[in-house]
Amino acid sequence: MVLSGWEAVFFWVFAIAAIFAGLLTVMARNAVHSALFLISSLLAVAALFVLLGAEFIAGVQILVYVGGVMVLFLFVIMLVNVGAEERGGQVLNKPRQVTVSMVFCLLLVLGLLFAINVGYKGLQTRDEKAIASAQALRQGQQQDLHRGATRTSRITTDTERVGNSLYRFASLPFEIASVLLLVAIIGSVMLARTLKQEAAVDDLAPDVVAAEAARDPELAETPPIS
Amino acid sequence: MSTFFAPALVLLFQEATAGRADVMLHSVKNPDLSKFLVIGALLFVIGVAGVLTRRNIIVIFMSIELILNAANLNFIAFSRYLQDTGNVNAVAGQVFTVFVIVVAAAEAAIGLGIVIALYRNKETIWIDEIDLLKW
Amino acid sequence: MHRYIWLIPLLPLAGAAINGLLGRKFRFSEKLIGSIAVGTIALSFLLSLAAVYSYGFSNNSIWPKPYVTSEDGAFSFTWIPGGAVHITAGAAERSQQETERLSRESQPGTPAAPPDEHAAEPARGALLNVEWSYQLDALSSIFILVVTGVGLCIFVFATGYMHGDPGFYRFFAYMGLFMFSMLVLVMGSNFLMMFVGWEGVGLCSYLLIGYYFSKKEAGDASRKAFITNRIGDFGFALAIFGVIATFGTTQYTDVFTQAKGYPLELLGHWGILSWIALGLFIGACGKSAQLPLHVWLPDAMAGPTPVSALIHAATMVTAGLYMVTRTNVIFQHSRTMMLVVALVGAATAIFAATIAITQNDIKKVLAYSTVSQLGFMFMACGVGAFVIGIFHVMTHAFFKALMFLGAGSVIHGMHHEQDMRRMGGLRKYMPYTYMTFLAGWLAICGIIPFSGFWSKDEILWNAASTSVIPYGWLVWLVGTIAATCTAFYMTRLMALTFWGNYRGDKDAQGHGHADAGHGHGAHTPHESPPSMWIPLAVLAVLATVGGLVGIGPAFKSLTGSEHPGGRLNIVNYLDPIIWNAQTGEFGKSHEGGEEAHGAESAATSSPTEHTEGGTPSASLPHAPAASHTLTLAETSAEALGSHTAAEWLFIVISLVVATFGILLGMLFYVRRPELPDIWARRLKPLYEASYNKYWVDEFYGLTVTRRVMDAARIVFTFDSKVVDGAVNGSAWLTKLSSKLTGATDKYFVDGLVNAIAAFIMRLMSPLLRAAQTGFTQNYALVMVLGLVAAVALFFAGDILSAVKSIFASVWVFSFWS
Repeated sequence: MVLSGWEAVFFWVFAIAAIFAGLLTVMARNAVHSALFLISSLLAVAALFVLLGAEFIAGVQILVYVGGVMVLFLFVIMLVNVGAEERGGQVLNKPRQVTVSMVFCLLLVLGLLFAINVGYKGLQTRDEKAIASAQALRQGQQQDLHRGATRTSRITTDTERVGNSLYRFASLPFEIASVLLLVAIIGSVMLARTLKQEAAVDDLAPDVVAAEAARDPELAETPPIS
Repeated sequence: MSTFFAPALVLLFQEATAGRADVMLHSVKNPDLSKFLVIGALLFVIGVAGVLTRRNIIVIFMSIELILNAANLNFIAFSRYLQDTGNVNAVAGQVFTVFVIVVAAAEAAIGLGIVIALYRNKETIWIDEIDLLKW
Repeated sequence: MHRYIWLIPLLPLAGAAINGLLGRKFRFSEKLIGSIAVGTIALSFLLSLAAVYSYGFSNNSIWPKPYVTSEDGAFSFTWIPGGAVHITAGAAERSQQETERLSRESQPGTPAAPPDEHAAEPARGALLNVEWSYQLDALSSIFILVVTGVGLCIFVFATGYMHGDPGFYRFFAYMGLFMFSMLVLVMGSNFLMMFVGWEGVGLCSYLLIGYYFSKKEAGDASRKAFITNRIGDFGFALAIFGVIATFGTTQYTDVFTQAKGYPLELLGHWGILSWIALGLFIGACGKSAQLPLHVWLPDAMAGPTPVSALIHAATMVTAGLYMVTRTNVIFQHSRTMMLVVALVGAATAIFAATIAITQNDIKKVLAYSTVSQLGFMFMACGVGAFVIGIFHVMTHAFFKALMFLGAGSVIHGMHHEQDMRRMGGLRKYMPYTYMTFLAGWLAICGIIPFSGFWSKDEILWNAASTSVIPYGWLVWLVGTIAATCTAFYMTRLMALTFWGNYRGDKDAQGHGHADAGHGHGAHTPHESPPSMWIPLAVLAVLATVGGLVGIGPAFKSLTGSEHPGGRLNIVNYLDPIIWNAQTGEFGKSHEGGEEAHGAESAATSSPTEHTEGGTPSASLPHAPAASHTLTLAETSAEALGSHTAAEWLFIVISLVVATFGILLGMLFYVRRPELPDIWARRLKPLYEASYNKYWVDEFYGLTVTRRVMDAARIVFTFDSKVVDGAVNGSAWLTKLSSKLTGATDKYFVDGLVNAIAAFIMRLMSPLLRAAQTGFTQNYALVMVLGLVAAVALFFAGDILSAVKSIFASVWVFSFWS
């Protein structure tokens, strides 16, 4: 799956962008900046996905990850974080923690790179013949694809393949994932309720209501729903 | 000292790169699976560094998203590689990525719900101020 | 019918069980209890009659062979199965006998002795098998008749006497149990069964003497009886051990067959059979109240009168006689023991007779009379006249039970007054009792033709003419004096109780009926109900005519034979069980065994397994006369000229002394009533000695009882001070050591542990605590550390080789500079 030509160029562009954005995410002082940099990192990675031929996943990433999760992040940042940095507060932890973390991260990166090196060499030795024939295979596959409406490109079968797998062989994990999402929704709703909301649905113990009502007079007036 | 080490280092570099410059240039011009993996590893480590270093809870969460993203990249790269080498289960990587995204979304939702509840109780987003488990 | 003899002991036991277990629970009426008890005894008696008739007198009679129920499987229960017993004892005696025999054979003049098969057998191991089976032979048949017959009379009497007593059921339960034990004793086929019965009657004696358990004297008397009995039982048990060791079996038939072959132990020689005989005689002394162990019988009068009649006159005390007669083989082998038996019997007879002269309680007089008569019986056995001893047992049972029941009737009629000094003239008030008592009185005094005469006269004649032991004349003399005393004190009893004028309640007669608190109903004595005097009548008849079964040889001219009546004559009937020292076989025990009448022909068949037909010329040593001096009988026979004349002389002497006693008694108590007091004062020491029973009880108390209690006190002190002291001391020591170890543990060990724990805590606690920072990112850091370690470990080999290559190249190239 060697990329070549313009694909290589775009690869390097997006790769550098992703890494850079990631670095800035971690280093930015403002949380909103961090979020925006993360969004850009995610976008760069989505582009890398397209380069790898996984268009569907790229779309999913942008729609769900960026469009959903990051927006949620921004909402929460707006809720809790505004003014935090202005009020003062260090960005980084205590120096000792930071230095030790840096040391470990350095070791980790060295280890990972070494691992990739060794592993890739082994992989190459194992799949030499397959890699050699892969090129020819890919070329052939490319010719078989349908052309798009504008006849400039071909419609790839990636989405079709992912859909096939997801709904046939991986249907059970799919259903479980949907249940997981349901649980997550319910959980987050429950976690983020205010006391008033909880009292309104009579979800508080009476002594807690009484204790809170002493502090918050409005609470006592809230009638229960039933 | 330098007179002792410098020639050694030069020779090392020579040894290491002798005949390898072409290979390196070729691999840069035609990036392979390994490059993707390296990118993924770097993103991963950056995310880890962020988790360990920052004080802001939200930023920690975002670093965790970075980590997950790096893993996704790894999956997709391997999925493509396996496709090319003729493995029938190649699309499993992409399917797994879908699930990773799902779980990441769910986890982000819950986590941020916790952050909000935590903020309501303690009025702070600095993680080193949330240390009730301290002895 | 004799096959059913096993029912004879069982019926009274069943009656006793029913009465005892159900009597109180279901509140049986007195009538029911009485009828069950009397009914079972009556059935037993009828069965005994039938069995004895079938055994001895019917067409296929087995007499003289003994009948053992295990022989034809009628009843046999293997009680103690197996167990090897190696017979060692008696081996020396047997070998001695062999050498004696050989030495005699070498003497000139003695005929060549045929080999004696039933002489010593070599010592061998044997299995001790003890079975529970019954033996009916001449001796046991007489005893079962006497026991059940007299027992029946007494039971009927007791239903009347014990009327109104709240423990009615208990009384008859104990009595039934006693009958069972006594019947097992006399019907058992081996020594162990006899011992079981022995102990059983001892137990029942204890239960019955202490029947009125709320009275202290009854409890004391019952305990005294049991303990004294026990001392005798100790000797008996040792004798049984000796029997087992010597003969290897306890079955009578086997033991006596073996014992026949043992050498005779003459006077002064003491062998194994003498030891056994000694043990047996000690048991007999305890049970039959002979001289050193007689002390319990007079005190046993604290029990109800039917008990005294049954147990202490007719049955239990005769168990010793039964035992001695049963084992007469063993006794006859031991001349020394025969002498001991005769002397003890004679001493007891005179001893008790002299005490009875001065006693005032009617029952005590009869008790001492019993002891004295038992002495007579042992005298008879001691001089070799075992049959006459049993004959006297029988007649004594009749007249003594009669007199005891009569005394019971008197006591009942006198409303439980027992002191003779307050009685008198009762013949007017209690005619039936008087007339029956008269028969008993004449019988015991030995007036012809009443039963007592026949047996007592025979005893005295045999004592005078015995060749078994020396000093027969002394035994005769002592017996004659005792007979005189007997006549005297019995006449005294009659005079004080029945003759003269009524002396009782003289004070109360003046008061009229004012003293109702005394508990006397009517003041005048009254006759007993029929349930009480009918048995008296039956026994009186027996006491009168019962002696005719033993008419002796003196009347040969009248009757035609020495012992007329063939098998009906008790002497002939009991013959087969007596061992004859002359022949070495059983049977033909009377002297000069050349009679060839019908009775003897039956007796010639040997009852034993060795059918040798007792030839007079047996190889056993002849039983020599104990001494070569002539007996009294022989002397008088020489003086008078004929054997028969000597017999008649002795008869006349015994009648004369009896009449003398009676006349003396009448003189002292009827004609001149002031004489007793005068003579009592004149012979004050003798009177005091007699009245206080020769202070035997006090002597025993001082030497034995008090010393035993002292020993007990010493042992108790030792136990409480030393043993308990040691125990308490060890407990104290344990407590002390526990305190010490506790302190050590608390201060030393725990201190050490606490110090170490504190040290570790101070050392490690801050270190370990430091890990709990509460800072989430620290925990994340640790996770990353783990990740790094995992990666490194996974690629450890490759990392190391790469590092090595780097350093190798560096090292190599470093030399270039």
